[in-house]
Amino acid sequence: MAFYADKDYTTDQTVFEAVNQVMSGNLTLFWYDAKTEKVKGKPTDLRRGLTYKDLDLGSYGYSSIPENLRTSQSMVARGSEKWGNLPDMGYVVNRKSEIWADNVTYLYEEDKSRRWTPAVDVPWSDLDAHPIAAPIEAACSQLYTFLQECALVSMDFAARWVPLVNQDFIEQKSWMCAQMFNWARLNEAFRKRALCGGAGLGRASVSGEQGLKEWLWADSYPKGSLSINLSLGGIVLAICRHVAAFAPSKVDRVLMGYAMQDSARQTAYGSGQLRYYLTHRPAEMSAMQEYVDDSEHVMLALLGSPELIEPLIIISGGGLQKDQVQAGRAAVAKFLRLAISEYFERLEAAGLAASRTRSRIAPVVERISAAA
Amino acid sequence: MAYLSTTNYLEDKDFIDKWLYTMRTGEMDLSWMKAATEKVKPHEANSRRGLTYRDLDLGSYGFTGVPEKVRGNRSYAPRGAEIPAGVPDAQPWVSRKSEVWAFNTESYYEEAVSRQWNVTTDIPWERLDSVELPETIGKALSQLMTFLTEVEMIATDTPAMWLPRLNPDFIEVKAFIAAQAMDEARHTEAFRKRALTTGWGLMKASPVNEMALKHLRDADSFSEMSVALHLVAEGNVLTMFRFSEYLSPTDVDKRIFRLVMQDEARHVGYGMQHFKYVLENFPEKREVLHAHLDEAENISFAGSAATELTESFIILAGGGLKKENIEEGIKITTKFNLKQMEEHFERLDKCGMPERKQRSKLYQMYEMGRAAAEAAGIKL
Ligand SMILES: [Fe+2]
Ligand SMILES: [Fe+2]
Repeated sequence: MAFYADKDYTTDQTVFEAVNQVMSGNLTLFWYDAKTEKVKGKPTDLRRGLTYKDLDLGSYGYSSIPENLRTSQSMVARGSEKWGNLPDMGYVVNRKSEIWADNVTYLYEEDKSRRWTPAVDVPWSDLDAHPIAAPIEAACSQLYTFLQECALVSMDFAARWVPLVNQDFIEQKSWMCAQMFNWARLNEAFRKRALCGGAGLGRASVSGEQGLKEWLWADSYPKGSLSINLSLGGIVLAICRHVAAFAPSKVDRVLMGYAMQDSARQTAYGSGQLRYYLTHRPAEMSAMQEYVDDSEHVMLALLGSPELIEPLIIISGGGLQKDQVQAGRAAVAKFLRLAISEYFERLEAAGLAASRTRSRIAPVVERISAAA
Repeated sequence: MAYLSTTNYLEDKDFIDKWLYTMRTGEMDLSWMKAATEKVKPHEANSRRGLTYRDLDLGSYGFTGVPEKVRGNRSYAPRGAEIPAGVPDAQPWVSRKSEVWAFNTESYYEEAVSRQWNVTTDIPWERLDSVELPETIGKALSQLMTFLTEVEMIATDTPAMWLPRLNPDFIEVKAFIAAQAMDEARHTEAFRKRALTTGWGLMKASPVNEMALKHLRDADSFSEMSVALHLVAEGNVLTMFRFSEYLSPTDVDKRIFRLVMQDEARHVGYGMQHFKYVLENFPEKREVLHAHLDEAENISFAGSAATELTESFIILAGGGLKKENIEEGIKITTKFNLKQMEEHFERLDKCGMPERKQRSKLYQMYEMGRAAAEAAGIKL
């Protein structure tokens, strides 16, 4: 796969001559009158700083990115003058509808302003001061093992696609980098939490990982984004919200507070991308619906994983006693209903109408929730 | 290219029945409670630093214990977890520790997390309102920023491309790469925003440097990618940032360069430590890395033909287009070019490749350039 320069520059006479000319003071200044738009961007709101939105100006703006990028395949910064022999970087995502979301620049800005540091922002030593009962700690270590699998796959997803996305979508690519970083940070936080309680890690989940791989390896970005950003992001958000509410320790409450913020942004982008895609590519509606039909069994694979559902029951009920498990089941039933109904709401709001009524997983989850 | 799970869980009656049974009766399988994993109790070694990845370097969970060849995990399971039969193969391309590892990786990552800054709010953009740069300086600055915007994002695409190819057991390296991607997105943002606040907008692309970008991305192995990106390219960029800070026409520019330098030093730090690690632990790779450096240095030298960049640098360094400005600018740019090469070889030296100088054509160029500069009275 290596790419080699077109010649040996260290023995190329024309290069030496060009360099010598410039370095003896004969500047060409051929770049001086670049055929580009002259702008002077300014922050519209000083409190917010200079955002990408403030620079959505003329030929530089993201608003003017066309649907089909046919003339940019290099790393050239959008809006600068192209000339000479520019390489083809082999991008495969060249249509705005396949990647863009109206909220993407907003989410990128929000992401940066909500930075946090797992090492110091979670009161880890509190677990030493207030240790948790053994079965709950074991449940936590299992739950956070499962969450690490989710975080790793989400991180891989953004990383897998970012080099394939056309450089003209610079704001969107930057958001994907923020996603990668977000998931690295969550993975770190989940790992630290799993280990610092003393129970070690738990067991990897076969159904969970099989499902995650199916979503991660989706054959197009819009499909993968629906699965990883909207669906998986939504599941992680629902888990984090639920655990924050039933947090067995201050550490879990604080950590899940941050994790909710971070995963909510993933879901918001996933919804935004799907909406943008379906709005601009209505003909793809049925293909997307079919993909959802085929791949939503993964929702079951994840939500029904014993490695998720059992620790969740223990954490929600506060232990393994009969009444605790009873309470835990009731809480988890609510969690399942909520997770699944939010999933359908997101799909429908993004344009996949009547997702709930046509879904084959909805009655399964309802039957299981009702059983509790 | 899609992957289909080995089971369609909607059609897996056992899976659904078991789930239903658990929810109805509260009887749980709990076999995960007996996972054959190690029980450890990590503690914050330093409460000011909090709980770090290094504090988790314990037993089977630690990075120290990761073997040279990872044979036990090819799934998405976190290192140290119990891995049951039936988990999928994540298809990692790189499962050899010396191909990716660097002493201190975990600290580079944690430093990145704690030193995130925000281009939108951490740069005093409002101060530019009252700044009117002379046309020559404004255009030269815009041209420099255009180049920097162009190059920064490759440092995102390149490591990102490798991230999913790395065995999940190298979680600290994956985390470092993810953090680097964010750092580079931020650098792109900083330089783009600065170009679009000069009044001149972006200027001309740099085809010669674009060739370098493609070379950086398309390496045959992670180690080759890393030496070209983290050591050669980012090393060069680090020297360039230091000079650019010095020639910054405004305090706002100085601040931008100071902040990006912090991040860049981290990337180069990782690159150096990795290079050292691979040379020490994977000696067969030395020749491969030499051969890749031959290419990387050729392309690095080709950069001197990027007139649009050299000229804008000269103007910024000399402070304008008058004869005396140009003379001064050339002196500084010459020093910069030589410094860049000198530091490159110093880094290779420090990492354990002192023989590079004998083999390198770039080093010959450096020696010629240095002799010529001294003959012209330019003190280095
Ligand atoms: Fe950078
Ligand atoms: Fe960098």
